[in-house]
Amino acid sequence: MGLIQKIVTWARIKSPWVIHFNTGACNACDIEVIAALTPRFDLERFGVQLKGSPRHADVMVVSGPVTRQSRDRLKRVYDQLAEPKFVVAVGTCACSGGVFQGCYNVEGGIDMAIPVNAYIPGCAARPEAIIDGVVKLLSSLDPKPAALPAPVAEPVEKVDVPA
Amino acid sequence: MALFNIIVFPGILFLVIAGLWFEFVDRRMYARMQHRQGPPWFQPLADFIKLLAKETIIPEDANRFLFTAMPVMALTATISAFFYIPLWSPRALFSFPGDAVVVMYLLTIPTLTFFLAGWYSTSLYSMIGAVRSLTQLFAYEIPLFMAVLAPAMLANTWSLAGIAAYYTAHPLMALLNVPAFCVAMVTLLGKLEKVPFDIPEAETEIVAGAFTEYSGRHLALFRLAVDIEVVVAGSLIVAMFLPFGLALPWYLGIIVYLLKITLVVALIAILRTIMARLRIEQMVNFCWKILAPVALAQLLLNLVVKGFLKP
Repeated sequence: MGLIQKIVTWARIKSPWVIHFNTGACNACDIEVIAALTPRFDLERFGVQLKGSPRHADVMVVSGPVTRQSRDRLKRVYDQLAEPKFVVAVGTCACSGGVFQGCYNVEGGIDMAIPVNAYIPGCAARPEAIIDGVVKLLSSLDPKPAALPAPVAEPVEKVDVPA
Repeated sequence: MALFNIIVFPGILFLVIAGLWFEFVDRRMYARMQHRQGPPWFQPLADFIKLLAKETIIPEDANRFLFTAMPVMALTATISAFFYIPLWSPRALFSFPGDAVVVMYLLTIPTLTFFLAGWYSTSLYSMIGAVRSLTQLFAYEIPLFMAVLAPAMLANTWSLAGIAAYYTAHPLMALLNVPAFCVAMVTLLGKLEKVPFDIPEAETEIVAGAFTEYSGRHLALFRLAVDIEVVVAGSLIVAMFLPFGLALPWYLGIIVYLLKITLVVALIAILRTIMARLRIEQMVNFCWKILAPVALAQLLLNLVVKGFLKP
């Protein structure tokens, strides 16, 4: 990998601008996405900025199952993003369709319409989970993966539940 | 030597570094005032490189020539305005009688390029943003001109270097221009499209204003032009209203100059933190009903003082 390519990869990892798109979620995941962007979590530390225009964004954060109404709009917004672009599916519905799977008006998860780079399950996905997913997606761009940050929570010990 | 002046100092390289640095200072102060950590120091540079390496999309209906030429125009106008401004000595790189007016007009060009860029992107959001930035131009431009020309009138010269030399000789006279300094600071926010006057790029209403259709390296150049405009307009305000420490040796002069620019950027960041966006008609009302009379009163005051000083 040449020097210029290295610099470009570094810049891409350090400056992900996100756009948020709701394909028909119940708004719980949207609230969590907004919460992740508040000063409490301070995503600007990683260079994340919320952009209004899809032309400016690198990462599309999509929440909700793809409904038949929103499928064409989702595709159009995806096409408006400039390459290289990444899609993050936030929430169980975005990953698989969730409880809405099989509904007459629901196509399924986001990957039924557009390619997805990262899946963040959860109903609703917590802000910490969303940040973790985006950081993992970005560190997957680096060919030499840096040491991932140590897990914040202690691993939960298995407790034998009496039958 | 001319090539060195254009490319390295005080030309492109110095302005790019200063622009990116003061964008970082602005964002960092904003973050600290919101009790968060804020971006690392290389953030504006990373944004710039990333945008340069991104795909550049030109809408099918857009005017290709104007769409690609406008970011370059904005960058060129701001950089060339910088050559006439005295930085840390009473002398500027180039100077001629009347360059204060030329610098003001060169600093108007970026706003016009925003308008043309938004208009010829043929997108609804960018057209609304373009028209708003032009409406805003008519509101802030007159008070800004009057405020900036008040110290020039007192110094009896239209050249920035002459103004700096006059206030170095008569430092107390600069205190007379405090109202004009306040007017210039507020209208500068309108010129730079910063909160509370970021009406043309209100991202909650019209996506990204005139820049909605811009992507990749065109957007990178526009962002760079805006960053550099902060430094150039800040230098102009500093040269006009805070002409102190110009007689110091150059190494102290540079430090004083950078501190003065940091003061202007800090004022912008503080106002960005504590204010919300105004509506366009509130902004026009405010500029015409309050700022313009204050600037006019300043002009009258300076005329009277000048009459007493020169028998």
